[in-house]
Amino acid sequence: MILVPITYRGGVYRHSEIIDLIEDLGGYIIQKHMIAQEVVLQCFVPKDDVELIRAIGKPLAGEVTDSPLVGTEIAVVSMSLEIHHLPHPSCDIAEYVRRLGAKSNMVGMARGVGKRIAGLNDEERDIINEHDIAVYLLGNFETCIEHKMPVLLRGIEVPVVVCGGPDKEVLQRIVEPKVEGYVGNVGRFMHRTKESEELTKLDEIIAEITRVLSKRREALAKDPLSVSPARLMDVIREQVPAILTVTSPTPLTVQMSGLRVKLPYDTYAEVLRKIEIEDGIKIGDIADIEPSRMRDYIIVRVRPFSETNTVI
Amino acid sequence: MQAIEYFEVECTEKLGGEYYRQIANDVLLDHNLLRVIHKIHVYIDPKVPIFVAVGVLRKVTTLVKVGDIANVNPQEGKLTLAISDETWLAPMLKIFWDRFGKEHVDQPDRFTVILYGVTAGAREIEEIAIADPSKALYKDLVYALRCICPEGFRVRSENYGAEKFSFVASEDTLTDAGMALLREKFALMGETP
Repeated sequence: MILVPITYRGGVYRHSEIIDLIEDLGGYIIQKHMIAQEVVLQCFVPKDDVELIRAIGKPLAGEVTDSPLVGTEIAVVSMSLEIHHLPHPSCDIAEYVRRLGAKSNMVGMARGVGKRIAGLNDEERDIINEHDIAVYLLGNFETCIEHKMPVLLRGIEVPVVVCGGPDKEVLQRIVEPKVEGYVGNVGRFMHRTKESEELTKLDEIIAEITRVLSKRREALAKDPLSVSPARLMDVIREQVPAILTVTSPTPLTVQMSGLRVKLPYDTYAEVLRKIEIEDGIKIGDIADIEPSRMRDYIIVRVRPFSETNTVI
Repeated sequence: MQAIEYFEVECTEKLGGEYYRQIANDVLLDHNLLRVIHKIHVYIDPKVPIFVAVGVLRKVTTLVKVGDIANVNPQEGKLTLAISDETWLAPMLKIFWDRFGKEHVDQPDRFTVILYGVTAGAREIEEIAIADPSKALYKDLVYALRCICPEGFRVRSENYGAEKFSFVASEDTLTDAGMALLREKFALMGETP
């Protein structure tokens, strides 16, 4: 069964029927937002049943759209958290990817600014590596980008999309080591993105992120995960009641090959390891449960089939 | 509003210069500084690296008076003020309360203030000074130039005078060559430091 990421947007009235339908079809709801009279469901559903959900949702004023970023956690890496880089463009981009279903976290570097003085510390590196993809938002000068990128990319293992002021071709030429995606003409600016060409640029960033993530999905498909992170999310939600008391908007954040569990590692790591998924297979057998560098959260990394010889 | 007479952003990288022109424009506009800056020249060379901003200020307008933001209409036993610009409404009310007492000042809606039983005439009320915009000007100017300047350029030499200002910043220690650029850029505007 191939699961595809979609967003369902409809009225609150009878929306529980849609939730039941998705669950009955074997899909997973990643996030549910209730905004006034509207409900937004970000979910994974079987590919063959998308039309069925669309047909059943239609009388309820429901709308189904493809959301390739659902189920991904994106690090938006800002060179600092000063007024120079915030709220534009960092927040504009972080908010835009969130609208399309991704869970975005902003990583503000301690010393990302400048040319000679730029640096990346171990905490920043580890936090970026906990995401599915990192979007680096750089400045406007070629010289600075060329000079500091080798330092800022040191130890980064996740795919990176670089956004900067120079043209895309220039970025492709100057950024060393080479990264997976480039978006040019989006450097530092001090106004809100509201003009049509600026919004087109945001769409270009999304397209680049989607392209890079699709390549990652293809790579993952060659050696499938032992269990889908979305399924793991459902299992944890059912068997660890403490997760229901977490006030964070996404207590369980689904990633492409894992899950972030927003519970303290010391107390809950062992509990998670012992949870049975199916037929005596426990989470600890098919996934690595590690402490996250983000607060005291837990990061669950699902191992691939080639390591566990199990797919459930 | 008077526009800036001279506004140049010079950069060794063409595209970077265009972006910085936009940034400078946005920041000055956001801080309402376009009306006080007469000339400004920005020079950036990321290779050195150095950032220079030099400029000439306009004579800052005098005190803001009640007559500048409101029409004072004398009526029987009261004076009605029709507010045209809310910016200075709060300091104006504070001054009225201190001077006439709260029982004599009423604000029935957002754009109307009524003074009851005050002895002062309309002309006298119009002449009351309510704010001095030049006090906040230098604070805004310092903040704006630091905003425009690339963030990594943390070694700064700033000079804000009554008529002219200069700002040099770099990542490295500032040298005499950097300071000499100041005179050169002032000369481009036809000014001396």
